[in-house]
Amino acid sequence: MGFLLRRLLGLVPALAGVVVVTFVLTHLLPGDPAVFFANSVTADAATIAAVRQKLGLDLPLWQQFFVYVGQLLHGDLGQAIGTGQPVAADLLQRLPASLELTLVAFAIALLVALPLGIAAALRPGSLLDHLCRVLSTAGVSLPTFVSGLLLIYFLYYQLGWAPEPIGRIDPFAIMPPRVTGLLLLDTLLAGDLEGFGMAARQIVLPAITMALFALAPLARMTRAAMLGVLSSEFIRTARANGLRRRKIILSYALRNALLPIVTTLGMIFSNMLGANVLVERVFAWPGVGSYALDSLISLDYAPVQGFMLVMAGIFVLVNLVIDLLYAVIDPRTGLLTHA
Amino acid sequence: MNRRELGKLAAATGLAGLAPMRWAQAQTRAESLRILSQAGPNSFDPIGVGVNRSAIQAHWNIYDRLLRFGTTTRPDGTLYYDYYTIEGEMAESYDVSDEGKVITLHLRRDATFHDGTPVTAEDVKWSLDRVVNTPIGKSQFSTGSMTSADQFVVVDAHRLRITVPRADRFTLPNLAGTYPVIINSKMAKAHATAADPWAAEWLKTNVAGGGPFKLEAHTPGQSLTLSRFDAWKNGALPGFRRVLWQMVPNAQTRRTSLERGDADMAQDLPPQDAVSMAQEGKVKVVGVPMSGAFQFIGMNNTKPPFDNVKVRQAVAYALPYQQMFDAALFKRGHPLFGGKPNEADGTQFPQPLGYDTDLAKAKTLLTEAGFPDGFETTFFFELSLATVAEPVSLLVQESLGKIGIRVTINKVPGGQLGTLLQNKEVPFFFEASAAYFADPDYFFRIFYHGPTRWNFGSYANPEFQALVEKTRFESDHAAYEAEVSRMIALAKQEVPIILLWQPALDTGMQTSVAGYKYLFHRMLELRSLKRV
Repeated sequence: MGFLLRRLLGLVPALAGVVVVTFVLTHLLPGDPAVFFANSVTADAATIAAVRQKLGLDLPLWQQFFVYVGQLLHGDLGQAIGTGQPVAADLLQRLPASLELTLVAFAIALLVALPLGIAAALRPGSLLDHLCRVLSTAGVSLPTFVSGLLLIYFLYYQLGWAPEPIGRIDPFAIMPPRVTGLLLLDTLLAGDLEGFGMAARQIVLPAITMALFALAPLARMTRAAMLGVLSSEFIRTARANGLRRRKIILSYALRNALLPIVTTLGMIFSNMLGANVLVERVFAWPGVGSYALDSLISLDYAPVQGFMLVMAGIFVLVNLVIDLLYAVIDPRTGLLTHA
Repeated sequence: MNRRELGKLAAATGLAGLAPMRWAQAQTRAESLRILSQAGPNSFDPIGVGVNRSAIQAHWNIYDRLLRFGTTTRPDGTLYYDYYTIEGEMAESYDVSDEGKVITLHLRRDATFHDGTPVTAEDVKWSLDRVVNTPIGKSQFSTGSMTSADQFVVVDAHRLRITVPRADRFTLPNLAGTYPVIINSKMAKAHATAADPWAAEWLKTNVAGGGPFKLEAHTPGQSLTLSRFDAWKNGALPGFRRVLWQMVPNAQTRRTSLERGDADMAQDLPPQDAVSMAQEGKVKVVGVPMSGAFQFIGMNNTKPPFDNVKVRQAVAYALPYQQMFDAALFKRGHPLFGGKPNEADGTQFPQPLGYDTDLAKAKTLLTEAGFPDGFETTFFFELSLATVAEPVSLLVQESLGKIGIRVTINKVPGGQLGTLLQNKEVPFFFEASAAYFADPDYFFRIFYHGPTRWNFGSYANPEFQALVEKTRFESDHAAYEAEVSRMIALAKQEVPIILLWQPALDTGMQTSVAGYKYLFHRMLELRSLKRV
């Protein structure tokens, strides 16, 4: 318990640092938002000055920072000019979309990569091992928009098996009442099986595209970690003692190999959540990645700051979960003494 | 089998119970339109900070204006706005008196807003007052001599008088432009606050209009649903009852969906897709050269080496125009190279500047300018224009290399190029822009004159400046033509910026969709569309 508390307390300075860094970074960006947003060809210097004042950019930087922190303390992340909505509302709308896609893709990647990596490690040089190598090489070297477009071309355009690759649900469908924001969950909670089917069909292609990208590092890491553990002495001892093969692989080898795999998992998850702009673009998926990028390109400070803040928060949380998982997986870390 | 066919089949075989929602939709498919575009509106208020181009497509169709431009038909059958004819929209008619200084607008007596409230002159006055009380609106309206709310006077419930200090050719076009939407003032005022007297915050996300379409639903960044306003009085009733407009950032995805028959229209097609879609012929591709819009190569006229007119001419002769037009634009547009050199060819502008690729001449000019061995410079372009600008920049680099000008290419995000241009820090660049009004002097006033970043060449020839001032209120037609011809001649001889072409606006649509109309703001006019 003490460990958990210490870890949670440690988050406070981390997040405070993030607030300062996001503010400074966004304001260091080259480009003047007032010029950008006074985008009518009849706008003259006076118009730009008026826009600058309206955006609060005429104040000295330190004053702008205090205004920003003041807003944050009221839970106000500011207004996004690019969408015309409050940043908090945008993020609330888009984060579940990203989360849902990431979770499904993550599950697919795990279900494929773990067994594949283990199998490849058990029979190095076999056909399965080669398959693992080919799949992970392809996953790494094919940019996601290429694999996404290929999937769309064959499965939607040519064969018509997949639904139109636009958005999270059929445009004519009625949205379920919003509870979690995850459509797959919300439709089930509302007892709307047809809606669930639609949302599920809609998520398959983007999730596979993303899973392909996540699969490669996971499978490689699993294979390498398993290989390392399988050749160690305690496995030889276990084998010599005539333990069952299943017991050796799952209880002894895999548990010991899990540490590096879990570390990789954490990094991949955070990465998938915030940095899958290309998948989001190709499938018109209303996620946070493309939102942040669009805002960044158009010098829209508030959403960039809000996004960085929220993502940093999530990253910190994911790290916390990973740390806790370490403790469960490997008692030697000594983090949970009673585990 | 696509969704529409499935719907028809389902309806025909009476299976409608299985998935009632979608098939009910399919039956009204003939009356609904599904549009895919790259981006969506970020405001329903035309005047505001950072309002994007997609916003026009929303407020243009949800609101009415007092006046509108007429309609002509292009040789290929596409409807096109006619800048030189102005007709009534919310105003039934208008008359101009006192030597053009007084415009009286007669409102339709039976027109209402979406909520059923009758439209009165009070609403119109509030809406126009709002334009001149907003910085961005005021800077546009002042191009039509409207700067103060005192100029808008309510005569009676259905008449409004606009007074301008002197007759101005741009007053009426400004009233037909994108800014002066007529707002239901009672509704808007209810949401105004002391800090926000013009209800800008509320109107950004809410609609208080009376246009041909009503806003049904909006999910920012994803979709927008419009339905026809059946009691609309200001024109022929739209052909579609319902419009679903979705935002699909990827052009490939928009194209695939259109070609498979799921979408009715796809906007913002890149040139290469427009070409191959037209060749494959599954769908209709309408490409209209954008009037007033142009892409060009800019040079900073105030700093060496581009302050030397011979250097600018040398560059203009050294550009591989035809190659750029073929490879970067896939010929989707109207060339502004070639043509008659040195003097005006008619009084329309933009027009071809009279330069063709002639490396020998370029080399001679460069030597005369005192750069026999060329020089080094940096060429900037904005990443959002990369599909065209990237090949252009490479061809420019290669071709200028032949006369000794060594070019480094610098790609910058859109927001940054604007700032660099504002500060006049860019020596040599590719950019695109557009003027809403077709008068040549309007074009010159924005793009060849003044301290703003829109004077892309920072051009400052005193004779030209005097002509820009003089043509502003020129009422003598012959004198106007002579003055404009002189400005065109100067633009050709001194090439402050090198115009390349007017790109085409390519829109893909099902063959069953008819009535497409090109408008000066380049967004869709939904009211004229119908299914045939």
